[in-house]
Amino acid sequence: MSAPFYKLGAFGDEASLIVAFLIGIGFGFFLERAGFGSARKLVSQFYLNDLAVFKVMFTAIVTAMLGVTYLSWAGVLDLSLVYLVPTYWIAQVVGGLLLGVGFVVGGYCPGTSVVSTATGKLDGLVFLLGFAAGTLGFALSFPLVKGLYAAGDIGTKTLPQVLGVPYGILVFGVVLMAVGGFMGATWVEKWMAAKAARAAE
Amino acid sequence: MGLLSKFSLNQKLGVLALALGALAVFANVAPGHTVKVNAKELLTGVARAEDHVTPQELAAWIIEGRADYRLVDIRDEKAFAEYHIPTAENVPLATVTDGALGRTDKIVLYGDGGIHAAQAWMVLKGKGYPRVYTLLEGLDGWKDEVLFPVMAESPTAEQQARFERAVQVARFFGGQPRAAAAPGAEPMALPVTAAAPAVAPPTLPAGASSGPKKKREGC
Amino acid sequence: MASVTHDVVHEGAAEKARVAQPYMNPYLAGIGLGLVLLAAFVLVGRGLGASGAFNSTIAWLVSLVAPGYARSNEFLSAYLEEGTHPLKAWLVFEVVGAFVGALLSGLLAGRVGLGVEKGPRVSVGTRLALAFVGGGLMAVGAAFARGCTSGQALTGGALLNLGSWAFMMCVFGGAYAVAAFFRRQWR
Repeated sequence: MSAPFYKLGAFGDEASLIVAFLIGIGFGFFLERAGFGSARKLVSQFYLNDLAVFKVMFTAIVTAMLGVTYLSWAGVLDLSLVYLVPTYWIAQVVGGLLLGVGFVVGGYCPGTSVVSTATGKLDGLVFLLGFAAGTLGFALSFPLVKGLYAAGDIGTKTLPQVLGVPYGILVFGVVLMAVGGFMGATWVEKWMAAKAARAAE
Repeated sequence: MGLLSKFSLNQKLGVLALALGALAVFANVAPGHTVKVNAKELLTGVARAEDHVTPQELAAWIIEGRADYRLVDIRDEKAFAEYHIPTAENVPLATVTDGALGRTDKIVLYGDGGIHAAQAWMVLKGKGYPRVYTLLEGLDGWKDEVLFPVMAESPTAEQQARFERAVQVARFFGGQPRAAAAPGAEPMALPVTAAAPAVAPPTLPAGASSGPKKKREGC
Repeated sequence: MASVTHDVVHEGAAEKARVAQPYMNPYLAGIGLGLVLLAAFVLVGRGLGASGAFNSTIAWLVSLVAPGYARSNEFLSAYLEEGTHPLKAWLVFEVVGAFVGALLSGLLAGRVGLGVEKGPRVSVGTRLALAFVGGGLMAVGAAFARGCTSGQALTGGALLNLGSWAFMMCVFGGAYAVAAFFRRQWR
């Protein structure tokens, strides 16, 4: 197995920071390509007119997931060396709900706010500052929220482990769900557009 | 091709995704179970005592609160529950290669004696784990050297001083000193695992430093 | 009719340079993003992220103003390693790269320009206030969840991480639940 290269000693910490920068460029580039520097486009997901957020996100997930599966299968990538964030399910459910609300209120997520700021949008910058303030607030009140922060600690868990389904089958399942979702999304967008056209008459 | 042009780009991508997804059903993503061992390198390491840590070293690390290594108890769950060295995690021998142990971790393995840990050590070294060690003599060594230190017959001043410190360490872990045991004597009772150290950690000689913190990898 | 033709002819070349190009096909953009994520897995054994960079930055700023407090704060101290500058973190470099990449894409597409993204029925001031509050809410959410949409949803999603999928569903759930209340800001 040769990958992940950094973890198998191919290059050191300094080089990994340069890699971080380059990967970041790719990250920001494709987010902007998709139009995610625009809050209006992003929140359109939640008003059902433009489901690009769902399409981009799940295409990215499926692409990386298939890549990981095939590279592991081929013996190139050692999956056990790829970092998995441990599951704190209660904290993460609460966090997810808050994040969803923040998304509609603020119009961005931290990554896309950077993209928005880079393309000159003032609201992107203000969101970013709000995010920084929120982080500081969280840190300062940490002793109070410590309990919730650690709630639902069940360690590192993957869906195949928890559902008892072989990895490959779950991968296929996700692909089916995504492709089905994309077809559904196209239909929803057409329906909403027709609805808007009828309302304009 | 005439047929392909009938479908849009998105449709073609969808079909490609479905095909790759279907094929993935047969994927085996777990690393293989065959192990290749560099015999010369391995045995040289053993001969040079690079493969183990002593109970005293481990005791010092635990007292210092070092967090740069993982202490792994390879016995079964029942034995682990009855007693385990503080800060140890339980990874039963047969599951050692299942993925609980990261390849870049610094790992100290122990069992009841030295044999099982040594076997696990060899397998992990074969899998390319660079920083694996066994606890010399395992729990037996831990009991003899750390929990229940023996007072020498007629100790020199230096031996006396070392014994005093060993007694402090022993008490920290819930053990106690004993006189040289007669053969066939009753084994000393192990401290209850759950009990937190009742005694303040003994002061260590200057120079004891904690290891590097684990690198953050979250998002 | 005549005036419209006149305007169009007049604007011609000068406008062409400033007219934003349409966005990329979302599936292609998603494939690009997915390949970047895969590159991170293969090269460095980790995924993407953004909120972690903010944590590092805040930890650093607090350590400048109140180093003792920063070290004693359980949340911040995790980002303050002895001997390394807190900004010498993988995610910080990645986020700076994201800024550059976004700027690059924006310039290529003619989409860089000062402005405020908002709907027609709300003022700039209101929009900015909501952006700030939304950012703050998100930060708290991301802190609890140990990540945001890029780190948890994208990265964890691709790796079939349990917590990440649960998180992802809650993000969509939370957003759809309150969307109606904030319609005014966007439409």
